[in-house]
Amino acid sequence: MTTSKRKTSSRKASKQPRWWPKYLLRFMLLGTVVVAVWCVWIDYEIRRDFSALQWALPARIYARPVELYVGAHQNAADFTDYLRRLGYIQTTRVTEPGQFNPAGSRIVLQTRGFAFWDGTEPSIALEVGFDGQRVSLLRAIQGGADVPLVRLEPVEIAQINPGTGEDRLPIGKEEIPQALVNAVIAVEDQRFYSHFGVDPIGIARALVANIRAGEIVQGGSTLTQQLVKNLYLNRERTMRRKIEEALMALALEIHFSKEDILYAYLNEVFLGQDGNRAIHGFALASQHYFGRPLQQLDLDELALLAGLPRGPSFYNPQRNPERATERRNVVLARMAAQGYITAEQLEDARGATLQVSARPTSRGGGYPVFMDMVRSDLARDYNADALRNEGLRIFTTLDVSMQASVEAMLDKSVQAVERPTKGEPAPLEAAVVITDATTGDVRALAGSRQSGYTGFNRALLADRPIGSLIKPAVYLAALESGNFNLSSVLADDPISMKLDNGDLWEPKNYENTTSGDVYFHDALERSLNLATVDLGMKVSVDRVAYMLSRLGHTDRIEPYPSLLLGAVNMTPVEVAQIYQTLASGGFRSPLRAVEAVTTGEGEPLERYGMETDQVADPASVFLLEYAMQGVFERGTAKTAAPRLDNQLPLAGKTGTTNDSRDSWFAGYGDDLVGVVWLGHDDNRETGLTGATGALRVWTDIMTKLDIQPRQSLPPADIQWQSVALRPVRVAGARNCLETRRLPFRVGALPDAAVSCESGGSLMERVFDRFRGW
Amino acid sequence: MKKNVLLILALGLLTACSGNMGRGIPAPVETRGQVIRAPAPEPVQPPVVGRVIEPIVEREVRPVEIIPPSEPVRPPTPASPVATLMASVDTAVAAGELEQAAALCERALRISPRDGYVWYRLASIRFQQQRYSDADGFARRALGFAGGDRGLVQAIDSLMARIAVAQRQ
Repeated sequence: MTTSKRKTSSRKASKQPRWWPKYLLRFMLLGTVVVAVWCVWIDYEIRRDFSALQWALPARIYARPVELYVGAHQNAADFTDYLRRLGYIQTTRVTEPGQFNPAGSRIVLQTRGFAFWDGTEPSIALEVGFDGQRVSLLRAIQGGADVPLVRLEPVEIAQINPGTGEDRLPIGKEEIPQALVNAVIAVEDQRFYSHFGVDPIGIARALVANIRAGEIVQGGSTLTQQLVKNLYLNRERTMRRKIEEALMALALEIHFSKEDILYAYLNEVFLGQDGNRAIHGFALASQHYFGRPLQQLDLDELALLAGLPRGPSFYNPQRNPERATERRNVVLARMAAQGYITAEQLEDARGATLQVSARPTSRGGGYPVFMDMVRSDLARDYNADALRNEGLRIFTTLDVSMQASVEAMLDKSVQAVERPTKGEPAPLEAAVVITDATTGDVRALAGSRQSGYTGFNRALLADRPIGSLIKPAVYLAALESGNFNLSSVLADDPISMKLDNGDLWEPKNYENTTSGDVYFHDALERSLNLATVDLGMKVSVDRVAYMLSRLGHTDRIEPYPSLLLGAVNMTPVEVAQIYQTLASGGFRSPLRAVEAVTTGEGEPLERYGMETDQVADPASVFLLEYAMQGVFERGTAKTAAPRLDNQLPLAGKTGTTNDSRDSWFAGYGDDLVGVVWLGHDDNRETGLTGATGALRVWTDIMTKLDIQPRQSLPPADIQWQSVALRPVRVAGARNCLETRRLPFRVGALPDAAVSCESGGSLMERVFDRFRGW
Repeated sequence: MKKNVLLILALGLLTACSGNMGRGIPAPVETRGQVIRAPAPEPVQPPVVGRVIEPIVEREVRPVEIIPPSEPVRPPTPASPVATLMASVDTAVAAGELEQAAALCERALRISPRDGYVWYRLASIRFQQQRYSDADGFARRALGFAGGDRGLVQAIDSLMARIAVAQRQ
């Protein structure tokens, strides 16, 4: 029994050595299979992804470009500012695109050219002369001929970034300068063309160099490994990741050419940070740091870029020019050492002064209010993914100089009219909309008194009662009815009206006074509420509501009598649409922020052309405008007239809502329509009327923008006639000693009771003279 | 009282000498402290001749066909920015690039918003694109700026007539 037990145990002992190799073998076999599967998977992944490599590209948003021609409204200071926004470099001698040389009222520059959606604008060297606010000379440097028209590059105002925040300008293989390739290989991976993705010699050399230096001065990663790391892996530094990186690099080298790998690397590598935008690829880095395309860079500039991947922030030439220059010289020295450049080229490039572009950093977040409108317009045709990933180019109507002027002016201007408020102090807020009076293009927007404010966008979203801004619609409806003209006599008398719900409505004038009989034009100029209600009830509230919708208001309107005094909410942009239609002589053109969309390669996708629809009779609009010009001359905006001496005549209207909660002014000249709103977000009283608040801000802005006087052509059926200065209703009671000439439409001439044009027997005229004494 | 009667008679005589006798036009009178407004704002273009902005539909018109406008009515002065753009419009229209041509017209309008000819060309392009509502709007705007240019007015009238026919079909 004992023997047996011993036997058994000795059998067990003798079995043990045979058990381990068996399982070890199985384990190794299994491990090999797993590694093999992993390798096959990596190989599959690399083949699948790399051959179809596509980067997510942000949508680029461009402002309206400056157009230069003799007579263009542009001054030297604004134009210089525009060139700086484009990243032009100031120099004493213009030799390349993207440079300019200002000399007093003349500027010499070379444009870069730009592929617009409707054609390519070539690069041209120019001399531009200015005479005050106008371009007075436009001449080509080469040949000295006058140039009729030049369109500059558009300022890129924003991007709609992919979730990664990466930005790049993919570049074709044939567009990559050989000197850049040489520089990158010299400094990053000198054995690139001879290794197989992993470079043991390079690793050993780096190890020795690092030990000698006592710090990490060289990396052992090949370009292929760096590409793999950027494309597929995270920054984790583990053995597993290192092995994966090496395997992927090997797979890449097996399946793809060195040229393909290098091309992908040059487009992929991270080369800097600009706000929330990561600069990837050498093409974008070239634009970002030098304001020029890669092909136009000199050897020293290419060497500088090639030195960036080691430390894009550390060697940032804009922030750390000395370090960047040192790094550039290291790259140049390696190039010389490896025979890519001669000693002479080395010396020349080393001696070059670093000149980087001072591109404003506001890009990407500088125009949040306008971008809200752009996004809203684009949302009709493009989903968010397309905007974030497909590299679309979006051409907008924004005028960057005008936007800058509005932003520079607004806070100071609002501060000047602001009054202490009841309760907790709260700043008075503002919104401004500026549009082109002809086309309806939105040229500037402010959604707050603070520039760059990204909160509540009041220009698009502050839905507030418009008060007396509605009155032009009331008066236009009346003129169109044919029953009224500018000398129709209205009753500015107390009104008490029982509404459908049984309430009694007793509107008042702003100053709580009444004026009795007043002329139609006078009632609008002085913004008399009671006369307007008298008129509106005769015309009918439905007709006024219909006129509002024709002028461009799209929301449903309840036709209550209080509508006549502006009891309808609108945003500043909606108000701008209505006044746009008036400024266009009764032609409604929908406000437009986006003009065209193209692919990243410039192929047109969509164009949002100007539209127009005649919604009001031109003669009636002309008559209305007479009274709206009178607002500045005799009415509620006459306090602004002295400051607008060079701009008048202009047309406009003040608006004030109950308890002065909103202060509005909307007005237009020949070229611009402007709407200003002032108020508090919590709807508290501002202590301001339209005239004491918004009008003053509007005047500040419009004088700065040099709004052009109205030059309205009278339609053919307009006649000018004299009427008695004071309105009367009784025939024979009018006094023609004091008259005013007013425009009338043929067929709606002044009533005999007030006309001083044709009537008047000898005795009547004698009595007129007599009454005048 | 006697003095007043004499005064009235004297005034009557003075008034009779004012030169407007028998023409039904009141004598010019002075205002006190009020400025009599100028008859009309100074126009920058020739005055509009007597036309009503309505499409002339009663004249006989050919069936609608998508053809370019018969001939340029008033090419602006050569070498001006607008003339340069209009030359590009011609090229674009000839190449069938109508949307590009429309965009060039819009560029020209930003430079010269009161040029009736440019509005007319834009209307013609929209007509060719069968965008009749826009074509009609632009033609009406063109008419407002055509002034005394009879050739342009006739071209616009003709275009409006064709638009009206096309819209009815």
